Amino acid sequence: MFSGHNKPLDTEKIKATLEQNRGKIKLSQAACASCSLCAESCFLYRGNNHDPRYMPSYKWLSSLGKIYKKRGNVDRAFLEQTRENIWKNCVLCMRCYCPFGIDIPGLIGLARSIYRSQGVYGIYPYTVGAPEAENAHDPDGK
Amino acid sequence: MKAGSNLEKVLSAGHFAVTGELGPPRGADVAAVREKTQYLRGMVDSVNITDNQTAVVRMASWAASLILLQEGLEPNYQMVCRDRNRLAMQADILGAYGLGIRNMLCLSGDHQKFGDHPKSKKVFDIDSMQLISMVKKMRDEKKFQGGEEITVPPQMFIGAAENPFGEPYDFRVLRLAKKIEAGADFIQTQCIYNMDRFRTWVKQAVDMGLTEKIYILAGVTPFKSVGMAKYMQKNVPGLDVPDALIKRLEGVDKKDQAKEGIAMCCEQIQEFKEMKGVAGVHIMAIEWEKRVPEIVEKAKLLPRPKMEG
Amino acid sequence: MVIAEVKPLAEIMELIKPYKKVLNTGCGGCVAVCLGGGQKEVDTLNTRIELTCRERNIPLEIGGFTVERQCDMQFNAEFDRMVGGYDALMSMACGAGIQFLAERFPAKPVLPAVNTVFVGVNKEIGWYEERCQSCGDCVLGVTGGICPVTMCAKSLFNGPCGGPQDGHCEVDKDTPCAWIQIHDRLKAQGRLENILKVFPAREWQNQVQGKLLLEEYRGRYVKEEKQSPVKK
Repeated sequence: MFSGHNKPLDTEKIKATLEQNRGKIKLSQAACASCSLCAESCFLYRGNNHDPRYMPSYKWLSSLGKIYKKRGNVDRAFLEQTRENIWKNCVLCMRCYCPFGIDIPGLIGLARSIYRSQGVYGIYPYTVGAPEAENAHDPDGK
Repeated sequence: MKAGSNLEKVLSAGHFAVTGELGPPRGADVAAVREKTQYLRGMVDSVNITDNQTAVVRMASWAASLILLQEGLEPNYQMVCRDRNRLAMQADILGAYGLGIRNMLCLSGDHQKFGDHPKSKKVFDIDSMQLISMVKKMRDEKKFQGGEEITVPPQMFIGAAENPFGEPYDFRVLRLAKKIEAGADFIQTQCIYNMDRFRTWVKQAVDMGLTEKIYILAGVTPFKSVGMAKYMQKNVPGLDVPDALIKRLEGVDKKDQAKEGIAMCCEQIQEFKEMKGVAGVHIMAIEWEKRVPEIVEKAKLLPRPKMEG
Repeated sequence: MVIAEVKPLAEIMELIKPYKKVLNTGCGGCVAVCLGGGQKEVDTLNTRIELTCRERNIPLEIGGFTVERQCDMQFNAEFDRMVGGYDALMSMACGAGIQFLAERFPAKPVLPAVNTVFVGVNKEIGWYEERCQSCGDCVLGVTGGICPVTMCAKSLFNGPCGGPQDGHCEVDKDTPCAWIQIHDRLKAQGRLENILKVFPAREWQNQVQGKLLLEEYRGRYVKEEKQSPVKK
């Protein structure tokens, strides 16, 4: 999987960011009642046959939530595996709604910020160098 | 009579009209304009004055038109859509009419990239079709494009251009119909070399009844040389120069090519005179104005009719 | 989406010349997709700048940080804790994002590292084409889905002009004539009558700075004036 470098993660940086946002993350995790109202408000969830991977709650809990639970002790592989949860499966349109007031877009944004700080970020289908792009769409149709 | 211009009188009396063309100078050179008029006086019914042709800055067409009036000739004031918005256009039309100009040509204009200021901003606030409508509204409804009354409305004889060889071919006659609907009184075509295709186009126009509603003047430009013919075939957008013509010019001595070019032009004019639906000819002897008297004479277009009033 | 292109390095070096510490800010939105100013492009540009500075002995410190998008102020907030350490900010976002960044940090000079070129489509990787000029009065339904403002070099509404040759615009052999395309497409759909009548002069809707306030959100931003009782 592409990341550009195989450097080990700067775990201290991740921990610092988690610490700065501890109150928000902790409260959000506790408040989530899995009511799935956020899912109903996500057009990607609705457009993808209600695939649970598109539920806004899942998107942030499986990325930022997990990192928080592990106190920042995750490896690069984890980031690269979960990258698509917060990039491919979310466009940060910021329309998701939570009756408990959880700031889901903010949490996904925070997750992205952590991933970026480790050199892991969204790869669009047409980005140079990505494995998807290398095997991708040849204009000559080969 | 819409404008009462010489050109309008000649056409409505049923004479075969002849118009010429004059490109203004690249400076405030009034003498240059006067000099060119001597070749056109008495040879044509009115003279097109081009407007920053090929997007190259020249003396304004309204100014050169006024010089022509002073010289006793009748101008066809050309206005392109590339350089002016509707405010400037209406203002210029009021000024032009107020000072005696009676014929107008409403054109799109070549893209500015062809000229001497290729990265200037384009205007195209309105297109040539909308300009025709606007001039008609000013004349017949006595209103500005925005709807307000004009105190002294300009009574212009409205002309436009059409290219019978432009793509899409089947649309060109329909576009002529649109120009008639918009309010054009006469059109001049791009210079014609492919007579077969032109005949087809005119016939379509006749069959659609369009030639009853608008005067068509066929455009001609005599070749000075083989070099010129080849250049125009390759580099001028919208022209169709058949290879047969180039071969014909190649078949004569270099010193005789100009004469041959003029002979070819006169043959075309002869055919236009006899073609149903063609009301006149528009001679574009660009930078070759001194040969116009010869062409007009050889094509038996003299004397030009003297119209009353 | 919005397409932007990185400015020539010489121009960028000229822009950052007066400063000692510059923060190059990236944007994860449109510019990331068109390879103009995302996180990767920030890194690449910074490397080029650093190399140039080393060659010419220029004492410049350049940092880099990318946020989701610069056209939503809440993402620009991420820069708050960083900007203090820099003399100037450079931005690889589009013109809109750059201005929002400048608005958030009015005391810092903000320099554009890209030229925003158009609203367009992704044809293939690295190949983008303009499709829309945001005229604010869309006629695509009439013209068979081809924009006369954008795709016609003269923005004609009653085209084509006399210029097309072999199906291409007089401006460029590789640019198709939009009006030939409009004609052909409408003809194939049996809708040629759309362009047989004269399209009247336009009321141009994009001649002042655009602003859009949706009706359903109006109440949040505009205080309705209380009606005072009529005095007898």
